[in-house]
Amino acid sequence: MITLTHYLVLGAALFCVGLYGVMTRRNAIALLMSTELIFNAVNINMVAFSRFQEPGFAHGEMFAIFVIAVAAAESVLGLAIILAIYRSRQTVNSEEMKLMKW
Amino acid sequence: MDKISLLAALIPALPFAAFLAAAAFARRRPAGAAAVSIAGTAAAFVLSCAVLCSELASPAVHAAGAEWLQLAFVNLHMGVLVNQLTALMLFIVTLVSLLVQIYSLGYMRGDAGFSRFFSFLSLFTFSMLGIVVADNLIQLYIFWELVGLSSYLLIGFWYDRPAAAAAAKKAFVVNRVGDFGFLLGILLLARAAGTFDFSGVASFAASGALPAARVTLIALLLFCGVLGKSAQFPLHVWLPDAMEGPTPVSALIHAATMVAAGVFMLARLFPVFSASPEAMSVIAGVGGFTAVFAASIALVQDDIKRILAYSTLSQLGYMVMAMGAGAYTAGIFHLAMHAFFKALLFLGAGSVIHAVHTNDIWKTGGLHRKMPVTSLTMLAASLAISGIFPFSGFWSKDEIFSALKAGGHTYLYFAAVSAAFMTAFYMFRLYFVVFSGEPGESSRHAHEPPVVMTAPLVVLAFFSVFAGLAALPHTHGIASFIFYGQPERAGLSLPIALTSSTVALSGIALAWLVYVRKAVPAAALRAASGPLYYLLKNKYYVDELYLFFVRNVFFALTAAIRWFDRNVVDGAVRLSGLAVRRSGDGLRRTVSGTVQSYALTVFGGMAVILLASAWMHPALFGFGGPLK
Amino acid sequence: MEQFLFYTFAASILIAAVLTVTVRNVFHSALYLALSLFGVAAVFALLGSYFLAGLQILLYVGAVVVLSIFVISMTKHITGAGAAGTGRRAVPALLTVLASGALLTNAILRTDWGASFAYSYGAGTDAAAIGSHILSDFVIPFEAVSVLLLAALIGAITIIAKDGR
Repeated sequence: MITLTHYLVLGAALFCVGLYGVMTRRNAIALLMSTELIFNAVNINMVAFSRFQEPGFAHGEMFAIFVIAVAAAESVLGLAIILAIYRSRQTVNSEEMKLMKW
Repeated sequence: MDKISLLAALIPALPFAAFLAAAAFARRRPAGAAAVSIAGTAAAFVLSCAVLCSELASPAVHAAGAEWLQLAFVNLHMGVLVNQLTALMLFIVTLVSLLVQIYSLGYMRGDAGFSRFFSFLSLFTFSMLGIVVADNLIQLYIFWELVGLSSYLLIGFWYDRPAAAAAAKKAFVVNRVGDFGFLLGILLLARAAGTFDFSGVASFAASGALPAARVTLIALLLFCGVLGKSAQFPLHVWLPDAMEGPTPVSALIHAATMVAAGVFMLARLFPVFSASPEAMSVIAGVGGFTAVFAASIALVQDDIKRILAYSTLSQLGYMVMAMGAGAYTAGIFHLAMHAFFKALLFLGAGSVIHAVHTNDIWKTGGLHRKMPVTSLTMLAASLAISGIFPFSGFWSKDEIFSALKAGGHTYLYFAAVSAAFMTAFYMFRLYFVVFSGEPGESSRHAHEPPVVMTAPLVVLAFFSVFAGLAALPHTHGIASFIFYGQPERAGLSLPIALTSSTVALSGIALAWLVYVRKAVPAAALRAASGPLYYLLKNKYYVDELYLFFVRNVFFALTAAIRWFDRNVVDGAVRLSGLAVRRSGDGLRRTVSGTVQSYALTVFGGMAVILLASAWMHPALFGFGGPLK
Repeated sequence: MEQFLFYTFAASILIAAVLTVTVRNVFHSALYLALSLFGVAAVFALLGSYFLAGLQILLYVGAVVVLSIFVISMTKHITGAGAAGTGRRAVPALLTVLASGALLTNAILRTDWGASFAYSYGAGTDAAAIGSHILSDFVIPFEAVSVLLLAALIGAITIIAKDGR
């Protein structure tokens, strides 16, 4: 019997993997992709809550839809910024993007 | 608030407004500044006359005020307290200030700081009037310090002269020494009495609720303020140096606005002082000593203003001695009379300096023919200060003599009489040397100053001659107007009058013999006195003594403190600075600019905090509880 | 059957995700991401949200991943130690992630989630219900998101556009 807890643990695991990626990847594009993993972890939780806590309503799904929309916007802008930085500095290495230091 | 209190509150406000206006005028219109300043003081003078008339007609105490601060243990007021003493002081202060300001129109003409001078004079007048109308100790102390500040500004008026700057600094520092004790006294007294108000303090002191030793301590600490402001020994050293200021300022300081403050404070707090007989005898002793001490120095000075300065010290000694001996009326009366003739003497000396451009009396001479008005008014003042019947000084000095004699203060009486002899001698030494004989090297082209300078002399001469008549026992004299407790009815005693007149006349006669007839050459007199002459000439080496003390004891102490400050305090400061700097250098390396390491720090830190919390409070995290 | 499907999907999601964040080649990384997102879509379907599953595939796999691959191919650093990899933050990051995961799991397991409804597979929310939600209760967020997307679109164009164009 698969319960709510199973889905939540899956979400937590996916979140942790995404977090690891955010903290370690040096390629800025890979970094953005790791954030997508985190968004998806959240979405799994949303839909699971919706299904198990109030079946018949779709509020969790609604939240997931908005998260997907915002994630799409974020991804578009993030990639645009990376592209702009690549044009001016010839790199996508996040460790070389340290203009904001000090 | 009745009418009189309102007037009394307005009297200091007018010079203050004049001060602000004059300061605003200062740059562009010097004449405007002077006009505003004089107008303010004149208006204050008119109001003071009204207050005095009202008090003369019906003596009464008028008080009004408002809550200023409410503290945990005591409430502070701002208010005015008008009684006969206040009315008389208001009259004297505003009159002398007004005359001095008019005189300054002539004396300071063409000075670069003309308008600044007038605005400072107004500030000075305002401060002194604030002292006079204050109804509590804190208010008194505030204006007391303002007087100190104004005197600093005016003594150092010609601040580009090193001597003037040093004199101003000296006046301020010496006054601080006295004021420190004064403030301690105020705080002790207020703590004991639970109030700063004069009326409350007076009734408290009269109630005898404090042990005698404590009252004596408070009275002596308060007296420290008098030592500084009224320049009594051993804090007298600033007053002669204050001669570096313009002469009208000297007149103001010596007559009305500064040194009088100390004696006035003695009178205001007389109930406190009189509650301690020990303190009273100390006060009387200090006053008597200063009277003789300063008069003896005045015998040999060459600078016209210094002679007058030591004369002021001596006369202040009289007042303080009178207060200490319990002769309240006599002290205040002498204060009033002294204000007139000393202001006159200084303004006259100012005329002389204005005419001959030197302070040295030996370079002048024969000025009587060239400056008759100055000469005659100076003569009146000299007669008054020497105590010759019927000039004002005669009456007030006789009051003091009678009070001392009646109080059984034999030593003080002799001190007063010998100081009176010296006073007569040095005043007429000054007068004869400057005004009689052949013209000296500097006085050939001397001429009478303009009328704005002579008119104040004449007015003051009028008061110097006739003001003493207020003491006539047949009129409702000063004794029934200003008194503490019961009116004193010492009256005029013939033996004392005869003694004092004889002493004064013999002093004058000696001066005449030495400096006019030259029957006894001054050089012979000097040779006869031997080392005493040099002792007097150098003012008993008090300044040198103080300098020695400061250089050797005080500087050694400050050097030790400086070492401690430089090495221990600054060392600690530098150490903490270094520590912060070093740790900052270390922490700087963590600011790599890589956002990911920041994210790692945030999440890692969060994880560490949560794990530590779980370690310390497992129950909070459900450890040990059931799995759901 | 249900358990088998869940564990299969969960395993594929997590394995693909771990590969996404660890492989050196960013292009491969993007492909693994696509796989992982497919798995999430399958989980959505398992939960009965067929509409959301379709949306996930269209938007994420179809748009975001493809966009990422575009950008990857426009920047030359597809492989190489400088761009990929774990580096010196790997160990502390791993420890942090493990601690976070342990704390999260602990919280999930020890929380009383109340009455959980059993649900029958196949009886999910239909697109009609979501559509009526969007245009009734959630109309304001919906409009706000549309504005946000428009702004993102314009912003992206502005950032990318070369000077003078």
